[in-house]
Amino acid sequence: MFEHEIDDQLRELLPRLRRFALWLTHDTSSADDLVQSTLERSLLHWHRRRDDTALRPWMFAIAYRQYLDGKRRSRRYTRMLELFRGSAESEQPSAEREVVAQSVVQAINLLPEEQRHLLLWVSVEGLSYREVAELLNVPIGTVMSRLSRARSALRRLGDGEVSKTPTLRVLK
Amino acid sequence: MNVTGDTHGFVSEADLHAYVDGHLDEDGRARVEAWLNHHPDRAEEIRGWQRDAQRLRAALGTLPDSTSRSNLDPALIRALHRQRVRSQFALAAMLVLTFAVGGIGGWQVRRWAASTEPAPMADALQAYRMFAMERRAQLDVTQHQAGDVQTWLDENFQNAARLPDLDNAGFHPVGGRLLATDNGPAAMVMYEDRQGSAITFYIRPPSPHAGTLPRGQRLEGQLAATYWSADGYNYALVSRANAREVRAIRDASRPSAT
Repeated sequence: MFEHEIDDQLRELLPRLRRFALWLTHDTSSADDLVQSTLERSLLHWHRRRDDTALRPWMFAIAYRQYLDGKRRSRRYTRMLELFRGSAESEQPSAEREVVAQSVVQAINLLPEEQRHLLLWVSVEGLSYREVAELLNVPIGTVMSRLSRARSALRRLGDGEVSKTPTLRVLK
Repeated sequence: MNVTGDTHGFVSEADLHAYVDGHLDEDGRARVEAWLNHHPDRAEEIRGWQRDAQRLRAALGTLPDSTSRSNLDPALIRALHRQRVRSQFALAAMLVLTFAVGGIGGWQVRRWAASTEPAPMADALQAYRMFAMERRAQLDVTQHQAGDVQTWLDENFQNAARLPDLDNAGFHPVGGRLLATDNGPAAMVMYEDRQGSAITFYIRPPSPHAGTLPRGQRLEGQLAATYWSADGYNYALVSRANAREVRAIRDASRPSAT
């Protein structure tokens, strides 16, 4: 494949890759850093790609691994800071989890990260269950049961907007 | 997680998700719908899943505009990568060459990685990063006419060296700034070429434990430095680690040149 053909393919994927990175990082500039390093790595490792591998999940997998590496590093760093401070306030699953979300966007942001990613990848990005399984490096059956849990959790949080507080809804 | 449906065949949890996500063909859809007709509780739940999925797509399905992000263009990233590799090659080739010629001007590569001593003139490289790469701080003096920066340097340092001449490489002094070290005042003079690339000249008092420096040079990350001592001061020239600039600072820091 010619370089300009590769570049065209990557360019076409760029908006999706940016959105994927934004979902992970929640911040435009860190998302763009992630996209940039993902592009660098993909160009570097292009020859390792089997031709039958779809480009989108392959790029997502590179981005996701880099994101996880970064998260591990920052967790280590946070642990060290906590040692200095002498406090180890761990994040408690709080009553906030139980609040009724006013919109589906609010609701999904209340979910644990893993469930949030899963729902975004499947429902919005439209990745296949197999692609998600490979991305997360788990069996496909695990993806299915996690998806059931995630969808039920979202349902519980999102219920408010249809049934529990109908009189309080703001009409737009 | 499997659920068996009475007379309507077998419908699994995976089938239900595939139904929600539109991954089923006509037959599959019909089978799941028939099953849901007989399981009103699940049917209610599945309709909720579908609604949530639709709302998520509506709320979050727009793609960010990437046309404005030219720094994320694959062709550019490819070109930058190639440039980096090329300049590393050129640099390596040049170092090999100077080795072969035999330490002209004391040019030897030292292995700082293996050393526990602080790298010599680390502050000079730090100053380069701050002033030449990030351009975060103002200069104290700028050169309006030839000699301005030299005059300023002589006012602040007794018997300071003459500014290295980088004219041949296309670099001219643009200004300078005083800095502080543990051992007294230091100064950095910035040179620029027409493209806006920078080389810095750094002067500082020697530290008591390290004393004066043997003439040498080193690479650190994307930067290169040459250094030497003369008349009670330590000096360094710092540039980016590409062949053209490394050649410039090497030539300007030869004993005959300083």
